Formats: sequence, structure tokens, C-alpha cells
Amino acid sequence: MALKYWWLVPLGLALLATVVVVLWRRPRAAQELIPVAHADRLTALPLYKNALARHRTWLVTALAALAVLAVSLIVAAARPVSESTSIPEQRNRDIMLCLDVSGSMLDTDEAIVSVFADLVGNFKGERIGMTIFDSSAVTVFPLTDDYDFVAEELTVAKKALSADATTFEYLAGTYEAAGSSLIGDGLASCVNGFPATTDTKRSRSIIFATDNMLSGKPLFTLAQSATLAKTANTRVYALNPNDYGSIPSFVSAAQGLQDTARATDGAYYPLESEAAVASIVNKVQATEAALLKGAPRLTIVDHPEFALGAALLALLVFGAASWRLRR
Amino acid sequence: MGTLLTAVKSKMYIFAHRRARGMLDGEYAAIFRGRSLDFDDLRDYVPGDEVRDIDWKATARVGTPLIKRYVATRRQQLLFVADTGRNMAAAALGGEIKKDIAVMAMGVLGSLAIRHGDSVALVHGDGASSLALPAKGTESHLEQVLQRMDAATLGNGPSDLCARLEYVAAHYKQRMLLVVIADDVNADDRLATVLRRLRAQHEILWVQVADAELAGPAAAHSAAMDVAGMETLLLLLAQDPELAASYLDATAARSRALAELLKSNGIAATSIGSTTLVLTKVFALLERHRRAH
Repeated sequence: MALKYWWLVPLGLALLATVVVVLWRRPRAAQELIPVAHADRLTALPLYKNALARHRTWLVTALAALAVLAVSLIVAAARPVSESTSIPEQRNRDIMLCLDVSGSMLDTDEAIVSVFADLVGNFKGERIGMTIFDSSAVTVFPLTDDYDFVAEELTVAKKALSADATTFEYLAGTYEAAGSSLIGDGLASCVNGFPATTDTKRSRSIIFATDNMLSGKPLFTLAQSATLAKTANTRVYALNPNDYGSIPSFVSAAQGLQDTARATDGAYYPLESEAAVASIVNKVQATEAALLKGAPRLTIVDHPEFALGAALLALLVFGAASWRLRR
Repeated sequence: MGTLLTAVKSKMYIFAHRRARGMLDGEYAAIFRGRSLDFDDLRDYVPGDEVRDIDWKATARVGTPLIKRYVATRRQQLLFVADTGRNMAAAALGGEIKKDIAVMAMGVLGSLAIRHGDSVALVHGDGASSLALPAKGTESHLEQVLQRMDAATLGNGPSDLCARLEYVAAHYKQRMLLVVIADDVNADDRLATVLRRLRAQHEILWVQVADAELAGPAAAHSAAMDVAGMETLLLLLAQDPELAASYLDATAARSRALAELLKSNGIAATSIGSTTLVLTKVFALLERHRRAH
């Protein structure tokens, strides 16, 4: 607890003292005092003494109440506040799940989807969207903060991507073009899934799950898509389940993803098992949150209740006392 | 003739017209018990004269009642004993200042005395110091006496009527008519002693100027100032009915005690609360005094 305008206290007290001194030294009007003789015959009466003592008590009470009133009003005017510094975590992330649904990726996709199905319950203000692609991209659901809907969609996706899924209906529309795993196109579609312009500053990240096993001719190369993502100020977090270091084709695929991630200030995570997805996603989330930490903010909370409460109480006491005195 | 006496006489004139003319004079003349048998002259009867003073033979001769005057009834001395301490500058029962009532009463009695051919003296003072004005039979002297009374202000010393009475007892050997201008004094032993002493020597009339009431319905509702200590007095507190009752009881007990004391000494007394009552009260006082003998 501190006083915001602490200098008001000495100032107010000085003013109060001045008023008291001026009132004290003011020549008292001697009018209306009727001179009477033999007043001792009244003042010597025990009843008069009692009444005088009562009168004095109330007078002292009234003066004390007045003093308390003045002091507590000065304190209230000096604005008692409590200050606290907080680092607000902004909940304005936009996350796009960008899942390669070529046959080799389905297990990883299921793991990512189930992690997000769990995470979505904790979301407050984040928006999440999901795009799947193979040779062509399909928006499963656009960026939204309708978490019930998202949870529902993720459950459906989880079921459809699981190993015991009987049909591939869910993946309809992802092989409209020739080829498979047209990663550049997929990433470009995901980048386009974000709104073109934003009024508010929201962070954009793409959880990009792919093994970068490109076959066919994409419209965008991965490098072009990465530039696109960078231009759109979007970070790409690449998850690669098939990073087998020794095989040259895999090496170049992994390298391409690493480059993409680095180019967009994202990160690259080689995935050894589906079980690691959860920890990686959490890591990504934490990184995003850390990036979005705002400047430390000074929060000032006013606490006028004690001062004003005391003033109110003093006012009541003063009222009662002056009523007694006037009687 | 000064201003104070003029005011008094104008009031007396009105009073005399309302009552029988000359009645006050007759009442005044009848005060003196100590008549000598040295016949001086005759004068016309005025209502209030003692019936036993009527000279029936002369009355029968002349056809109108005539009163015998004796030498002893002339050249009397009237001595006002008044305290001019600051108690007299305080408020009276009727709200006026007590000294105004005192001036009026002294003016009435003094002018009666001067008309009767008597002389008027004054013993006054405040605190422990007593002062005296010599006896003279002129109106200008009476005016001076009244001025002395009128000079009682809040700046004066404290009141002590007993000191004035003791001064009289110590300094005046000759028989006189004492008019004591008092307020609500305590009937204590000191007063009893000095009154016993004085009444053996003098004729005494007791004029009490009633003090303002400090409690009860008739009391002032504002703040007052105690002239003894010059401190503020909260009369507001005295509005409490129980307190007022106890105050009025005490006041009544005190005035009863004083009345007892005066009565036991054969002193006629009156209590005056405002200047408008002075003439009636003085008249009643003279009447009571005459009846008492």
C-alpha cells in the first residue's frame, strides 16, 4: 500500500493546521453573552456538573470525529494504491495446423490432432484452423475461436486419421492434382488460410507436419512458400517424422524443412516417435507464448475503501455528536 | 437636574396620576416611627398618612383633614446602601440590567425624601473598598447619587454587599433610614450579624433587585457570562427539566431563608424584576413597612 500523491498529506495537514490556528486565534464574538450574577448557584449543582461533563464528552467526540474526517479525507485524496508489476501473457495467437495427409504421415497427423484436441480445452482467445493437403490442400476448418466446434472437428479428424479408419472420405479433395505431397502448395495454402490483413496484432504460427517427400510438380516450391510465410509474418514449426539421417533423399528433405523453419523464425523438430508430438507441441506453444510476452505492466489498484469508510464513519459520529450538542 | 432623575420623576408623575396624588408622599412620611412630641405645624392630609396623626380638632375647624407634623419627622436622613460591584451590571429577572432597576428604585425613594425635606446619602463600592457620598437634600445631589449607581459596570470589582453594610455599621452613628439595594444575597451568618447590628440603630428598607433565572422555562436560551469569573456559561444545558427543577428548588430555598432573616429582623423587603414594577413595588414596600409598626 502506498500513497500515489503522498505530498498531499503534508500539504493537507499544513492546511488543516492553518485553519485550526486561524479559527483558534480569531477574535471570538463577545455578543449575545448575557452577563449574569450568582452563576455559581447553577454551576455548583451536581446535575449541572454532570450535564457539563456530558457536553464536554460530546464536544471532544465531535472534534475527534472532525479530525478523523479531515485526516481520512486527506489520505483518500492522496490516493492510496497498491502497485504490482505483471507480465501479461497475450492470448492472441493464431495457429494453423498444416498436415500432410500422404500415407506415410497419417500416424503423425493423428498424434498432432489428438494433442490439439486436448489443448483446445485450455484455449482462451487463441484461434485455430486446420488445413490438410496431399497434392491439393483442403481447409478442414478455417481459423476460429469456436472451441466447441474445433473440438468436434478435431475428434472427427482424429477418428478419420487413425489406423482403423475404414474410409478415406475425410481426405477427399486432397489429391485433385497430379503428384503427391506437394508441400510448397500445401504450405502456401496454409499461409493463405490466415486473414490477409489484420487490425489487431496477432501472432501466426503454422504447425507444419510433413516428411517433405515431394513427388510431382508443385506450383510453389517450398522455398517460395517459406518466403510467402515470412512475408505474411508467419512462423513455421516443422515436424518431420521421417528424419533418417543417413539416407540422402531424406537428408535433403529434412534440410529443406529446416531451411523453411529457419527462414520463418520457426523451428524444426525431427520426430522419432508419435509419443514425442505432445512435448514438441507444448514446446512450440511455450515458444509462441514467450514470443508474445508483453512488456511488464505496472498495475495500480486504488484502495479508497479504508480512508473513505473511516471518513463516512467519522461523519456519522460527528453528526450524532453535533445533534447531541445542539439539543 | 440630571438626566437620570428626570427619567425617574417622569415615571413617578405618571404613577402618581394613576393612583391618588400624593399618596407616595404620605407613605414615605409615615415611615418614621421615632416621632418626637415637638409639634411643628399642620399640613393637609394626603392618602397614606397615618390616621392617628390627624389633628381632629383642627380638622373640625378647617373642614378638611389636617395632619400634625412633628419636628422629628423632618430633617431625616435617607442612606442608600448599594453595592456597585459587577453583579449589578448583570441581567435582572426581566432582562434589563440590574443597575437600571436600582437607579429607578433609588430615584423614586430619593425624590420622595427630597420632597419631604430630607437629605440623601449613599454608601457604595465594589470589592473591599466602600465609598460614601455625604447627605444633601438637593436634586442635583440625588442625581449624583444615581450617577454613582449607574456607573456600575462589568469592569468593576466583585460584589460584596455585606462589606457595604459593615461599613455603614462602622461609620454612621446617627439614626437614619437605610435603604439597602441588594440582589439575591445569601442569608448567611455574616449578613445576619450585620443586620442585627444595623436594625437596632436604623430604620431599614430592603430593596432586592431580582437576578435573571439561569434555568427553567423563563431562563435565557443562549450563552451567558458569569460576571464573577467572567467565563462563558452554557445555559443550554440548564434546559434539562430535572436540572431546572433542582435549580429552582435551590433558588426558592435561598429566598425563603433570606425572607426569614429579614422578617426576624423586622425589615420590610421587596423584590423587583424590572423597572416597570419599581413604583408599585416601592409603594407596596412603604405600605408594608408602615403596617409592620
